[in-house]
Amino acid sequence: MVIRNRAAWLLWALPAIVLVAVFFVAPFLLNVRFAFSSWTSFRAEITWNGLENFRTLIDQDLLANAVTVTVLYAILCMAIQNTVSLSLALALQRTSRINTVFRSAFFLPTLISPLAAGYIWRGLLAPDGAVNTSLGIEWAWLGEPSTALVVVAFIDAWKWSGLITLVYIAGLNSIPKSLLESATVDGAGPWTRFRRVVFPMLAPALTFNVAVTLVGALSAYDVIAATTGGGPGDHTRALNVVMRQQWGQGFFGSASALGFTVTLLVIATAVPLVWWLRRREVAG
Amino acid sequence: MRAVLKYTALTLFAIPWVLVPIWLVVVNSFKPAGEAAELGLGLPRTWAIAENYGIVFDRGGYLTGLLNSLKVTVPIMVAVVLLGAAAAWAFGRSRSRWLQAAYFTMGLSILLPPSIIPTVYLLRALSLDGGSLGYVLTMTGCRLGIVIFLATGFFRAFPRDLEDAAAIDGASRLQIFVRILLPLLRPVLFVGGVILIINVWNDFFFALFLLQGSANATLPLSLFQFASGTLQSLNWNLVFAHVLLTTLPLVAVYVVAQKRVLAGLTEGALKG
Repeated sequence: MVIRNRAAWLLWALPAIVLVAVFFVAPFLLNVRFAFSSWTSFRAEITWNGLENFRTLIDQDLLANAVTVTVLYAILCMAIQNTVSLSLALALQRTSRINTVFRSAFFLPTLISPLAAGYIWRGLLAPDGAVNTSLGIEWAWLGEPSTALVVVAFIDAWKWSGLITLVYIAGLNSIPKSLLESATVDGAGPWTRFRRVVFPMLAPALTFNVAVTLVGALSAYDVIAATTGGGPGDHTRALNVVMRQQWGQGFFGSASALGFTVTLLVIATAVPLVWWLRRREVAG
Repeated sequence: MRAVLKYTALTLFAIPWVLVPIWLVVVNSFKPAGEAAELGLGLPRTWAIAENYGIVFDRGGYLTGLLNSLKVTVPIMVAVVLLGAAAAWAFGRSRSRWLQAAYFTMGLSILLPPSIIPTVYLLRALSLDGGSLGYVLTMTGCRLGIVIFLATGFFRAFPRDLEDAAAIDGASRLQIFVRILLPLLRPVLFVGGVILIINVWNDFFFALFLLQGSANATLPLSLFQFASGTLQSLNWNLVFAHVLLTTLPLVAVYVVAQKRVLAGLTEGALKG
């Protein structure tokens, strides 16, 4: 009976397990091999070559820059997105008719594809575009090395902020009212209440949002493809951008090595972050 | 007084954040090329609606893109939701160590980025490269994790008495799943589905690597090819017309379902 039962459960999970195994896990494992293999469009045979791909990328000054750009992009994106979203969530926490209208409006950018978001902001931020006209300046936001990376990260953050706002609202509304009331009775002002009660209680939502936005932004590609293409120079040339270029030139092994680097960055970010935030969550 | 101040601030923020970007797209998609190149926010001096949208349908391959997007999005959504819910039931109820290990792997698949280059290699080996079937299978395999995660959480918190009672009454597993569990799971699947459709409908990165030729291009891919078609500066009127048409289907669905979308996402199905 028990054995039959177990076999039956496996049957229910099997289609999903097979699909994830073949189309997620297998490529993931293959990538570990390809990253350390010689594989190009000029020589179809795939042979082990140790760290050669990484060495070539370093010699071409591609790897270090791409890692720096990707990490900065992810941090900027996470910071902008969570600041905007948490502020909006605090303002729109109560479910009322007017707040629903605002929530709905701020959710709209989330529906736009990151590619389209890139084109829209490229238009708004053009040297003679609406942003410069209203500020009375002329600045090539996406063409200047000093602002290009911040701007592409901003566009990515803009696109996702509506969704993240809703996750924060869910987190805020799960805080027991009695806790806030007793803090008020004890004489805590709005700032103390936020710092001592709301912020610690928000830990699950914060964990989720910080991890999701950082990890998502490490795979940045779409917005950059629509705006700068990696420029000016190599100032927005994130790992996936270089990967696509290497792939296009037929250097499949180097492209895999770059993909593998993204994976390593995600692991290096996600593991300590989730661990640290979870621990704070328990302590709070 | 404080409320007035708050909503004034929110409105002042919403204008550049939401209104201006949308207005820029709409109004410039109505202008002829020269006027749209100024990227102004004023009304068109000359209207060129029919010309612009005609070109997007004609040269921009809009209808092909729309059909291709539907052709991949619908099967991906159905497969992820149904297979994900079925697997989540097993993960939530069975104590088998193998299944728990599989569940852990599903969790990892949410966090870790999919390996796109080996996927191309694998699809080629399976003779599935370039077309929509390989794309659908890949997207399904890479996106099942989130729905499984949400639904397994639901099953673990949900007592199995109902299922036991139905089993005693002689209901088969399939009947229990379809008649009892899927309806109960609907709110969770709805939230998973919203996140999923935003990702799948707008996916550009996977499509760029996995879909070959304009005959297979989904809307984001078709937008990119259309915008990159001209080597010099963009034809803003046409690009914006394409952006508007590409975004419209999802916005239309949202307008109909927005109450449930907002309520579902704020009721905390994503917590934890």
